[in-house]
Amino acid sequence: MDFSQTDEQKMLQESVKRLLERSYDFETRQKMLQSGRPWSPEIWEALAEMGILGLPFAEEVGGFGGSMADVVAVAEPFGAHLLIEPYVSSILLAGQCLAQSDSPAAQAQLAKIVTGEQTAAFAHEEGKGTADPALVSLAATEAEDGFTLSGEKRMVLGATQADTLVVSARTRGTAPDADGLSLFMVDPKQQGVSIRSFVTIDGRHAAHITFDGVQIPSDRRVADDAHEVLQTVISRAIVALCAEAVGAMGALLRQTSEYASTRKQFGAPIATFQTISHRLADMKIAYVKARSCLLYTTALMDAGRAGAPDISILKGQIGTLGREIGEAAIQTHGGVGMTDEVSIGHFHKRILTINALFGDSEYHFRAVGKSLATGGA
Amino acid sequence: MSSQTKEELDAFRAEVAAYLDTAPTDAIREAGRKTTSAFAPFEQGAAWQAILNEKGWAAPDWPEEYGGTGWSAEQRTIFEEEYRKQDLPPLLPNSLKMVGPLLIDLGTEEQKAKYLPRILSGEDYWTQGYSEPNSGSDLASLKCSAVADGDDYIIDGSKIWTTFAHKSNRMFMLVRTSNEGKKQQGITFLLLDRTDFAGMDVRPIKGLDGHAEFCEVFFDNVRVPQSGRVGAENEGWSVAKHLLKHERNGSANSPVLVRYLKRITEAAQDETSPFGGKLSDDPVFQRDLGALHADVTTLAQFERLIMGGHEMINDPALPSIAKTMNSELIQRVSVMMTRVAGLEGLSMQLDALAVGSGVDPMGSELDLISMPFYLNSRATTIYAGTNEVQRDLIARSLQIA
Repeated sequence: MDFSQTDEQKMLQESVKRLLERSYDFETRQKMLQSGRPWSPEIWEALAEMGILGLPFAEEVGGFGGSMADVVAVAEPFGAHLLIEPYVSSILLAGQCLAQSDSPAAQAQLAKIVTGEQTAAFAHEEGKGTADPALVSLAATEAEDGFTLSGEKRMVLGATQADTLVVSARTRGTAPDADGLSLFMVDPKQQGVSIRSFVTIDGRHAAHITFDGVQIPSDRRVADDAHEVLQTVISRAIVALCAEAVGAMGALLRQTSEYASTRKQFGAPIATFQTISHRLADMKIAYVKARSCLLYTTALMDAGRAGAPDISILKGQIGTLGREIGEAAIQTHGGVGMTDEVSIGHFHKRILTINALFGDSEYHFRAVGKSLATGGA
Repeated sequence: MSSQTKEELDAFRAEVAAYLDTAPTDAIREAGRKTTSAFAPFEQGAAWQAILNEKGWAAPDWPEEYGGTGWSAEQRTIFEEEYRKQDLPPLLPNSLKMVGPLLIDLGTEEQKAKYLPRILSGEDYWTQGYSEPNSGSDLASLKCSAVADGDDYIIDGSKIWTTFAHKSNRMFMLVRTSNEGKKQQGITFLLLDRTDFAGMDVRPIKGLDGHAEFCEVFFDNVRVPQSGRVGAENEGWSVAKHLLKHERNGSANSPVLVRYLKRITEAAQDETSPFGGKLSDDPVFQRDLGALHADVTTLAQFERLIMGGHEMINDPALPSIAKTMNSELIQRVSVMMTRVAGLEGLSMQLDALAVGSGVDPMGSELDLISMPFYLNSRATTIYAGTNEVQRDLIARSLQIA
């Protein structure tokens, strides 16, 4: 396996970095958050024009057939700039679910997502960190000409703005059966859909959604036997989220090193005190570990060899190492690190969010250990 | 980087596995299972090295012209993995990973011809004379002196933490040849052809685990030839720094940890949890095992990236990061081992641990090695530059001037 970036990936990453350095500095982002806008349509359009929105999709649907390593190359700078645009939710989760479907409705919707003209949200989480799709229990009961959805989805990122919801639901069996899962396309304005919107700690717009006897025509079921599709899509989204977290960790390391090297107390830069310098060293070790795990797992995925334990190792490591780095960064910045006015705490909150999505580090570490201890791997 | 196909690598793995199935003697295998340190039991380690050398596999990462194998990074990893699967004793590092590579880089032709073949065969073993009772982390403050006298040096002073000095026939050391200028200047790197020169006295020191692994060596007017010098007089510090690169940049360390973790996992399936049921079914144990396995896996991932030539190899802090990660992970694995052994780890069983003693351990083999391994592993964050010194070096790479 090759772990180094190709020239194309380097160029792609450079062009994203240039865009974000130009138009997405921390102050600009702060103003956007304070204005209540969910994200920047200008940036979304720029990403569409650069082909980043189409990156992970096949050429037949207007994409570029990008690999996991390509997505990681753009996701790292996304994390370093705390991009709040719905790349993971609309492109990598909802969009990729639609891309796995051969239903005409899904393909038509996907075309609008790839161009950035519309966004979709992935309504999957049911409140347990739902790392394993088999835990989905929202009911899709067969009805005349279709299905009736009843139940609740939580923490649906980008739901309020989405033109369509991609909903995972169960047509038969009970959790944790892997069988009986389907994916539906649902119009958020449809009768019976109630949306309770909020903003997450990392500045994203999200919602809890209640489905109360929502009627769905048959042609809006875009996948059945969807367990494997869900697993594939979620695994790839996890790698991208981890790449964002690693980008955030790199920014925290850099900014904290700079701060400690210039901030003076007792007449000397605080980085010259061994307690501080060793904390910086620990941050760097954690960053090197996180990035090694990310790059290796990405290569495994592109080689078709990333199994569930590999994804769990990555997700567990990123959650733990990210928290370590974020907490060390806040401590090193002192009081300033506690304010909303500097980026440090924002990076930390992004990392905490990523840890909590799709199973936190405790969950994933136990999943790895359980599989080893009971002879599964 | 990879030039071999999967089929070629699979065939190589099969060849290595088949050889390792038959080549080691029973005593060598026993020594491997009873290894509780980075240093395997001395005699069996040397015997195993001689056998591997016959095959041409004693120093896989040396340049081919000096007896290396010319294997790719993947092949070396495969060799390491198959090696560890069989719990074979690691080859002693001082000669193969330190003096040998140093001589290849900086030795005279005469030194190379004289020493390298006997390093490969294991006929010679080199102990390292660096630290002194008052010069540990601040190594450059060392005082053991060498005064030129004709073609010789006269050495006075002492060296400590000289691993296996009592079993070694040669020694490489740092001596003070000048007190002028900065303390790093005035240090000279010397090779000693013997460890029993007149005036040399070797005293083994018993460690926490009950074994005498390291020693103190005293020099009282010891006359040695100047031809044993590597590099110029008073330039030994840069020679030592060069050697350190080899010591810290060695081969993959993760396979041995992967193997220890597997032994821990298997043992946990036979242990009872105090909460009832098997320890391996205990959720807390599972989570902690998973977290440790994730860290061992990440060390392996890091090592493969480095061996594959990833750009992070250019980071000056990399050797220190690798040393810190590896040493602290060994300790955590050793803690997990004692946790699984529990009370059974408390009995001193030096006789059962001795290779060839024929004494059966009281509990399992993991119970037998757990506590000596744990105690010995306390050294990993102390030797080869304490982890405090490593963190100083890592932090230096982060400071904005």
